[in-house]
Amino acid sequence: MNRPTGTDDGGTQDGPRLPRRGQGQLESQVLTVLRSAGGPATAGWVQEHLDGGLAYTTVITILSRLYAKKAVTRTRQGRSYVWTPASDEAGLAALRMRRVLDGERDREAVLARFVSALSPGDEARLRELLSRADDGADDRDGSDGSAAPEG
Amino acid sequence: MGVFVYLPLVLPLTALPMARLAEQHLHPRSATRLLALVGSTLALCSTLCLALLMVVGTAQLPGNPLPDGWSDPEVRAAVPYEEKAGLIAIGVLGAVVVACGSTLLRHTRTRIRAARALPPHTGSGAAGDLAVIPSPDAYAYALPGGRGRDGRVVVSTAMMECLDVHERRALVAHERAHLTGRHHRHLLVTQLAARANPFLLPLRTAVAYSTERWADEEAAYAVGSRRAVATAVGRAALFSHRPPGPVVLPAFAAAGPVPRRVAALLDPEPPAGLWPPASAHLVLAAVTATVGTAASALSSLNATVTLVGILHAATPL
Repeated sequence: MNRPTGTDDGGTQDGPRLPRRGQGQLESQVLTVLRSAGGPATAGWVQEHLDGGLAYTTVITILSRLYAKKAVTRTRQGRSYVWTPASDEAGLAALRMRRVLDGERDREAVLARFVSALSPGDEARLRELLSRADDGADDRDGSDGSAAPEG
Repeated sequence: MGVFVYLPLVLPLTALPMARLAEQHLHPRSATRLLALVGSTLALCSTLCLALLMVVGTAQLPGNPLPDGWSDPEVRAAVPYEEKAGLIAIGVLGAVVVACGSTLLRHTRTRIRAARALPPHTGSGAAGDLAVIPSPDAYAYALPGGRGRDGRVVVSTAMMECLDVHERRALVAHERAHLTGRHHRHLLVTQLAARANPFLLPLRTAVAYSTERWADEEAAYAVGSRRAVATAVGRAALFSHRPPGPVVLPAFAAAGPVPRRVAALLDPEPPAGLWPPASAHLVLAAVTATVGTAASALSSLNATVTLVGILHAATPL
């Protein structure tokens, strides 16, 4: 009953067999095709409309990867899934950006990031500094940044 | 050339006290420029001397491409110290070239990929350089322009949401300061310097920190509130970079760059001038670094002149 959707481990086995296009490029292509469907589409439909002759399993793998990144949603229809793009052009930009940032080995090296990583002791130190800053404020909301959700 | 050719390889060590003290006592703009200048000079001298040693090293190789006279015994006798060192220098120089090349390559590639990932330039007036990416990951950075592209400020929605209105303005001002100040050049130069001579690694860390502080100060000036920048930096860091593991007491670890930036912003603005120096330690460090850099430059000059002299005498070049 279960289709081989190859959610997580799929990435390892199909990696080297893909043509010499970046994984990100394939994801973008699949997403573009899916969006051109104008509604939910099956993996087979995506495969047909995708030039480059990708295997059905590859398309499934890419879709699953996009699903894991919340770039597409899927609903079960009969025995298989139909896929809907969750993100627009801006969402795709976010996806690509994530990849660039993940690929950047030396974090501070190229893109001057606003904040660098905190060492374990830094968090407590930072909270103390922020509460000091808030004490010095006249009429600020007085929150101390402790409401930070996990990143 | 003698021992002088080795000096520039270790003289970068003289810049380390300066790298440590500059970030505390100098205005970040001065610190960045000074350290980048010192670092690049020292790295150039060090690489030049490696190259000289390599030229000498090639004389040891049978069948080297240099003219025949070069490997004559008389010439070997004229460059007495460098028998093994020359051969080692070939390997080391190769490693330096590879390291610098891969750094440059990675730098260019990341910039191109980051520029491609962005949605097209909206180009609407002053805010056109700001790209807000809808993403649950909190990040913000400045993407330097080049070759017809304008610099962009990239901020994720998650980062925007964890800041209030003043802090957002501070954040964008900070990133714009990176762009207008061309800070990435200082970063790249010191990064390459550290690849050329690993003794310069602390200098690179110091410059990375100083450029952030520099942008912080510019942002504080632009939005008119040091506290807004301080809280923006602090909140953004707490929001986006959860340290792994349990919270430990601050006393057990040295303060990282982010708390130091926030603390510096909560203090009054640093004086902009280089003079008068803030402390006797700083004077000592500055003198050490200056003497070291000058000695490095003179040694490599001396070694170059000597080698060119030998080359001239020994070969028909």
